[in-house]
Amino acid sequence: MARGKDKKKRKLEKKQEGDDVPKKIPHTLESLREKDETMLANTEAEEQEEAQKDLELDDLSSYYENTYEPKVLITYSDNPHSKTRIFGKELARMIPNSISRYRQRSSVKRIVQSGIREGISDVIIINENQKQPNGFLLIHLPDGPTAHFRLSSCKITPELKKDHKEITTHRPEVVLNNFSTRLGMTVGRMLGALFHYEPQFRGRRVVTFHNQRDYIFFRHHRYEFTKDGKRAKLLELGPRFTLKLMSLQQGTFDSKHGDYEWIIAGRRHQLETSRRKFFL
Amino acid sequence: MTLTEDDTIDIFVGTNIGSFKHIKYHIDSANNNKKCIENLVDTKTLQKNDGITCMVWGNPGQTEILLAKKNQQIQVYDTLQGFTKSYTADFGTGHVVGLGRFKRKLVAALSSGVVKIWSKKQEDLMQVGKLDCMKFCGEDSTLFATGGEENDLHVWRVGVNEPEFVAKNLPQDWLQLRRPVWVSGLTFMPGSEGRLLAACSRHGYVRLYDSRAQRRPVVNVDFTMAATCITPSFDERQVLVGFGRGQLHQVDLRNSRPDKGFKGCAGAVTDIEAVKHSKLVVSTSLDRHVRVHNYETKELVYKQYLVSKLSCVLVQTETSTPLQKEAKIKEETEAEAKEQIPDDMDQLFDDMETIGEKSRKKKLPAEHIEAKRQKPSTDGSTEPEQEDAIFNLLRSTEKQKKKREKKKKEKKAKSVFHNA
Repeated sequence: MARGKDKKKRKLEKKQEGDDVPKKIPHTLESLREKDETMLANTEAEEQEEAQKDLELDDLSSYYENTYEPKVLITYSDNPHSKTRIFGKELARMIPNSISRYRQRSSVKRIVQSGIREGISDVIIINENQKQPNGFLLIHLPDGPTAHFRLSSCKITPELKKDHKEITTHRPEVVLNNFSTRLGMTVGRMLGALFHYEPQFRGRRVVTFHNQRDYIFFRHHRYEFTKDGKRAKLLELGPRFTLKLMSLQQGTFDSKHGDYEWIIAGRRHQLETSRRKFFL
Repeated sequence: MTLTEDDTIDIFVGTNIGSFKHIKYHIDSANNNKKCIENLVDTKTLQKNDGITCMVWGNPGQTEILLAKKNQQIQVYDTLQGFTKSYTADFGTGHVVGLGRFKRKLVAALSSGVVKIWSKKQEDLMQVGKLDCMKFCGEDSTLFATGGEENDLHVWRVGVNEPEFVAKNLPQDWLQLRRPVWVSGLTFMPGSEGRLLAACSRHGYVRLYDSRAQRRPVVNVDFTMAATCITPSFDERQVLVGFGRGQLHQVDLRNSRPDKGFKGCAGAVTDIEAVKHSKLVVSTSLDRHVRVHNYETKELVYKQYLVSKLSCVLVQTETSTPLQKEAKIKEETEAEAKEQIPDDMDQLFDDMETIGEKSRKKKLPAEHIEAKRQKPSTDGSTEPEQEDAIFNLLRSTEKQKKKREKKKKEKKAKSVFHNA
C-alpha cells in the first residue's frame, strides 16, 4: 500500500514539475550494460583504425565492396514438416536471388562444395525438431565464416494471419540494429550480406535484424510515409523469428575439425559472468 | 638486478591480418595497461594477404624473429633494429607453415610440401608431401620434423634426402578401420636431444614418439575434439595442448591422460608458450585475446583484447626489449642526464638499484655499469681503493662548488640586467 501511495505522490510531483525537466534514462539491463573492450565506440583512435582495417580485410569484405551479387541457397534438415517448409519458402521469397531446395540426404560439407561450384554466396540450413524450426546455420562461401544460431519463436505468415503473396519481389532495405561488439559486427555483416547491396526503394520493403540482449529479432515490414512525411506507417509482412548465436566458426562448416572463433557450448558459466554482460 | 629483470616479460604476437605487436607484460599484473602494447607494423599499410602464418626465433639469443606471411614473404625482425631482411618463398604453392635457422641457412616449408634450404652457394629443395606444420629441434639444430593431413610425422636431417624417422600409424581399431592421420602440431621434447617427439592432431589425439624405440607411438591419448597446437610443458613428459573449440589442457604423457585445464578462452587456441622461469602459460586465441595463466593455480592472470585474430605468439626469455616509445624517451632522458653534473645525492640514488628504470642502465656502456657495481663493495675492502674513492669524491665536490658559484654569479648578473 505504501508503495502505491508513493507512486501517486511521485506522479503529482511530476505533474507539478511540468515538461521542462528532461527525461531521465531508465535503468535497464542495456543501459547498465557492462563495458565491453571489443566495442568499437569504446576504443582509442589507433585501435579503431586497426579494427577498421580488420573489417576491410575479412572474408565478407568483398560483399561490402559490392563486387558480387549475393546468391542464397536455402535448405532444410531431412524430411522437413510443413511449417519448416513454408518458413523456408517465405525466406526464399523475401531474400532476393535465393532458391529453396530439399536436402536429399546430402551432407553439409557436400552442400558447401557444390555451392562453391555453383557460385552460391551463402547457404542457409534450417533445422527442425518436433515439427518446429529450431536451428539456423548460416555459411558464407567460399571461405566462411559459419554461424550457428538457435532459432525460436518462429511465426510464418499464416500464423500471423497474413498472406505471403504480399511479399513483393523488390529488393528490400536492410536494417541492422545494435550490433556493437566485434563479434556482433561480424554477425551483423554476415546477416547483411544475405541481401542485395542495392535496395529497390520502390518496393518500400524493409527487413530488420534487431539485436537486444544477444537475441536477434527479425521483422519484415512494408512502410508508407504519412502525408506530412514525418512518420512512417508500418505493415508487417512476416515471417517473424528470433535468433541466438551459438557459435561462430572460421572457415566453412566443419564442426569436428574446424577452428571456432567464438563458441558458447561448455563454457556458459565462464562467459556469462553477469546478467548485464552481452556478447553482440 | 635479477629481480628487476624478471619483473617483465616480452610477448610478441602475430595476427591474421598481418599486424605484429609487442607486449611488455609485468608479472605484477597491476602494472599492466594499454601503454605496454605496441604495434611494430603500421596497420595502414596492410594488404589482404599479409596475415602472419608462422613465427620463430632466429637465434638462440632471442634477438631475431623470423616471420612468414600468407603471401609467401619471409621477413627477419631484429628486436632492437626492426625489420632487416626479407625473402620470398615462391618455390611452390601454399603458405609457409614452418621456419628455421640451421647455422646461417634459412629453412622454410610450404603447405604444399616443399621444404627449401637457403644458403649462400646453393638452394636445396625437398618434397615432403602436404604439410600442416614443420618444427626445428632446439637442441640438435640439424633435425627438423614435418607432418600434415594424411601425412604422418617425419623427422629429417638437413642435407639428407631420406627421412631419419618415419612414424607408423596405430593398428586398426576394433572395427578393423584405419585410423585417420592429421598432424596439426608437433614439438620436440626438451632434454632428449631430438629423440622424443610429441604430435597432436585435428582428429583429436596426442601422441608421443620415441625415434629410437619404435615407429609406432609410445603413448597415445585420445580426445573428442580437434587439437590445434602443442608445446612442451614445465615438467618432462608433459605437454600443453590447445584445441579448436577453445580448450587448453596439459596432457601428462606418463599417465597418458589430461591433468590440467586452463579456462577462459572463447575461441580456438592458436598458439601456446610456456614461460619457464615465472611459471606462466601464454596463449593466443581466435577470439582476439591474448591470455596469461598461472601454471600452478590455473588462474587467468591477464587477458588483453588485440583487435584482430591472433595466429602466433613468441615469448622472449633470454633478453628483454624496451618498448620503442619508451626507448625514445629514455634516450632523451639519458642525454639530459649526461649534461647534468651529478650531485652527491644523485650519485647516491644512482648507486641504489632502481626498479622502474632498468633499461636505462642497460643502454649505458658495460664498463660504466661495472664501475658502478663495484662502488658499494669498496666500503669494507682494501684501503688504496678507498683512498682513491675519497680523493675522487673530494675532487668532485670541489668542482661542484665551483660550478654552483659560477651559476650563482650568472644569476645575479641576469637579475641586475633585468632590474636595469
